[in-house]
Amino acid sequence: MSNPEFNITIDKKGKLKVEISGVQGEECMQLADLIKNIIGQEESREKTSEYYGPGSHVQIKATVQNKHHS
Amino acid sequence: MSAVCVLTPIVISSWPAISTAILGVASTMGYTVVTTEKKQKKLFAPKQNSIELQMENSEVLEESFGSGEKMIIEKDGVQVEFSRTPKGTCSICVTGEKQSKAKLKEIGEEISGRVIQQFAYHKLMTELKDRGYAIVDESVSADQSIQVRVRSIE
Repeated sequence: MSNPEFNITIDKKGKLKVEISGVQGEECMQLADLIKNIIGQEESREKTSEYYGPGSHVQIKATVQNKHHS
Repeated sequence: MSAVCVLTPIVISSWPAISTAILGVASTMGYTVVTTEKKQKKLFAPKQNSIELQMENSEVLEESFGSGEKMIIEKDGVQVEFSRTPKGTCSICVTGEKQSKAKLKEIGEEISGRVIQQFAYHKLMTELKDRGYAIVDESVSADQSIQVRVRSIE
């Protein structure tokens, strides 16, 4: 169950840095869109490792190579 | 954290909302409000030392701003006048007898930034509260940046 949280820093020139936590995947992007719609102009958006949490659909393919040492 | 976003506010609003931000900044920076009346004569003669700049990414909605409305704040002989340009942007005119134009520009840019900061803070907090978020913690750091932690309470 998500528990969205924003850590917001607004500098003295008005520029904002918003850290979104407590949510993963598409829900995180929806919250980022919400902030952008409220504030106006998004300069950058960076996903972190938490974004790819259990809520997102990630497929991992792994192969194991057997090496014989003589 | 799942994502980090960097944003620049676009100040599109009615004059009352912008003037509220100006009043907040005036209070914290030690400025006194001289006047908010229409068609007020400038306290300094027209040829006084002054500079004019536009607040970035700003628009004052016309229907809420009558012609001639302005807000003037003053501190230590420096007068800062906020008004709406014909194009709809927020104009800032900084006047001072004893300061250089460079210093007046610095003062204007600082105040402009702080007004944008206040506007962004209040708009964001209002919108998030309407969506079921509450402020958990907030502080102002030495560099005058505002830190706020907001959490969903729904």
